[in-house]
Amino acid sequence: MSFSTLNSYLPKLCTPPRSRNRPPRTARTKVFAQPPILAILSDPHVLRLAETLEDSIASTSSASPPPPLQKLRDISSQSLLSTPWPSRKDEPFRFTDTSFIKNSDVQPVNPLSTQSLSSLGVLGDALLPNLAIIDGYLLDSLSELSELPDGVFVGAVSRLNSEDIMERVSKYVSSFQGDLFWSLNGVGAPDVIVVYVPEGCKVESPLHLRFFSLNGSDKDSKTLPISNPRVLVLVEKGGEIGIVEEYTGGDGNDACYWTNSVMEIVLGDGAKVSHSYIQKQSFGAAHVKWTSVRQESTSIYELTEVSTGGKLSRHNVHVQQVGSDTVTELSTFHLAIGDQLQDLHSKLVLDHPRGVSRQLHKCIVAHSLGQAVFDGNVQVNRDAQQTDAGQLTRSLLLEPRATVNVKPNLQIIADDVKCSHGAAISDLEENQLFYFRARGIDAEAARKALIFSFAAEVVERFPNSAVRKSVASLIRRLLDPSLPSREEE
Amino acid sequence: MALFTPSFSFKISASSSPRRCRFVNSPRSFTPRAAVAVETPSFSSADRDGAPKLLLEVKDLSAVIVESKQPILKGVNLTVNEGEVHAVMGKNGSGKSTFAKVLVGHPDYEITGGSITYKGQDLLEMEPEERALAGLFMSFQSPVEIPGVSNIDFLNMAYNARRRKLGLPELGPIEFYGYVAPKLEIVNMKIDFLNRNVNEGFSGGERKRNEILQLAVLGAELAILDEIDSGLDVDALRDVAKAVNGLLTPNNSVLMITHYLRLLEFIKPTYIHIMENGRIVKTGDISIAEILEREGYKAISGT
Repeated sequence: MSFSTLNSYLPKLCTPPRSRNRPPRTARTKVFAQPPILAILSDPHVLRLAETLEDSIASTSSASPPPPLQKLRDISSQSLLSTPWPSRKDEPFRFTDTSFIKNSDVQPVNPLSTQSLSSLGVLGDALLPNLAIIDGYLLDSLSELSELPDGVFVGAVSRLNSEDIMERVSKYVSSFQGDLFWSLNGVGAPDVIVVYVPEGCKVESPLHLRFFSLNGSDKDSKTLPISNPRVLVLVEKGGEIGIVEEYTGGDGNDACYWTNSVMEIVLGDGAKVSHSYIQKQSFGAAHVKWTSVRQESTSIYELTEVSTGGKLSRHNVHVQQVGSDTVTELSTFHLAIGDQLQDLHSKLVLDHPRGVSRQLHKCIVAHSLGQAVFDGNVQVNRDAQQTDAGQLTRSLLLEPRATVNVKPNLQIIADDVKCSHGAAISDLEENQLFYFRARGIDAEAARKALIFSFAAEVVERFPNSAVRKSVASLIRRLLDPSLPSREEE
Repeated sequence: MALFTPSFSFKISASSSPRRCRFVNSPRSFTPRAAVAVETPSFSSADRDGAPKLLLEVKDLSAVIVESKQPILKGVNLTVNEGEVHAVMGKNGSGKSTFAKVLVGHPDYEITGGSITYKGQDLLEMEPEERALAGLFMSFQSPVEIPGVSNIDFLNMAYNARRRKLGLPELGPIEFYGYVAPKLEIVNMKIDFLNRNVNEGFSGGERKRNEILQLAVLGAELAILDEIDSGLDVDALRDVAKAVNGLLTPNNSVLMITHYLRLLEFIKPTYIHIMENGRIVKTGDISIAEILEREGYKAISGT
């Protein structure tokens, strides 16, 4: 049963679809277990979009997809049947207006057009090893995988030869149920990029995943090219790896496109993943990203994020604790310098004892049309005794009518825990400004220094110094366009 | 204070260009050595006709707190000449700190009367930055923390602001480091201190020393020390006092606000003023300190 068949039945609500006259196509999704009558509850807009994505996948890939990819597509298309487009009445999207995406004509990007760009050469500085993903498609010619330790696999799942790894990947791919955008990625992802770290293996240099969006449309056109990159990071027991995930696009011309990305991270016992995420998409783009993390006992997950681009940028973080004594550290910084929406929805679910988590979210809104949204949920369930969870969010509003909506929420059921949360929204502190002025530094320069230092608290947390420097200068340039770029530190 | 310890020697410091600021560079020891200033040679303390040169003149100054309109200063009169060390003492709530803050232009206070003339200029017309660049330095009683801005960056910004004002080229981070590193010895602090964020996680003593370091780096003609001794143990106090003494010349002055006489043993004042109820009620020399010690403020107040 395919989406197109389903779509054709929509106006006639009651007839159950039949597949008698259509030969089964292997690239298509299989028959659903659920009764077709559920089609009534489907959102036609969603189904149309899903169909467009499916068609695009079918036309571009000829080979039969490997089992994990097939499984992913099955699960995703099934959930899309009953997932409507979110409205402002749904709590997770109460402050986030997605009409920009909904009202556009979403077009999947044709990979053929990106292959011809393999002669593009260097696309900015990169760390080694690195992967280049253009519009959702992995481009080997622009990737550089230097010496990786034995047993480590980095690449598309369709190129995976090892059966063991394939089995592990199958087990974990899409083990989590996200929202509409999660499922759309599942249907539209051309491939899954797998980063596999075997047991006890510590990967020294961080892996740089560079996501580029080259296909974009003008602000005035109603079409929106969509790309669905998907990554699965699977770190076995005792393994360690650093990931630097960077999204760039637009070339300064405010191109419009939609990056709908998903990264799943699975940490085995005692594993460690340090995840640096930098989003500097075009100011006309929509960027929706899911990061779903599954932590076994004693594992450590550290996320450091800086998000400055995108007209609509939404990051959903879900951390699921499946073992005790885990450590989770989330440090995020969002910057809106124009008519932008920066949204972070995070959810940390603790079901096991002695977990330690720290979350710091900072955002600066420097434009009267800018908006920042934060919903930080921490669930400390019955068995999560002796949890130590802390959350702090600070926002700086620098222009009149700049908006920030923060909703820190802790749901605590266990009774022997230490949890804290704090939120502050303010302008710069008067007495700090005065301290600068009393030393002869004028008010303007003082403001700039203090605003940058507000961001610096998160930027300092990036583990890699090259990343730190480049992000620091990115933020400096965005906050003060008149500044000549300083090369020295 | 016109009599100064005589071991003068001309030392042209290579690391700093001639500046208008009068505080000396004394990187190695605390015996004062004069750097050659462009405008005035350091020997003659500009008293052409024998009379001391006026630096600061406060006449009938009154001020209120902006928020509550509560009057704090009720007619303060004070004259400070070059080369003098003044101490202002008084009970809690007498208006000492407010007076200091008003001098540097703190926005919490509003002037309701009187005038302040600094080097012939009307200070009340000047913004806080302008006052600082004119040579007024205040060491705060509780210096604020500035997470995210390192000490060296902060000092660099302030120093370059002064250089800009004098029309001199600004110093880049590396050159500035070369200039500032020797100064750390003046306040007895280690080099790594420069990389820490301004006052972040500093103890009371470290904050006060940071203030004096800024004074040594930036220079000033009138240094206002607001309770520089509060929160310091004897050793830290000795270090700070030594640093301040080392920076004195016949051309600059110090105005100390303090509660305790202990500080006056280390930094000897030319004049002591007692402030009460928003006014200076008595001015005298060091002998007042002895009376205070014996009999407390009661003996002085009202007289």
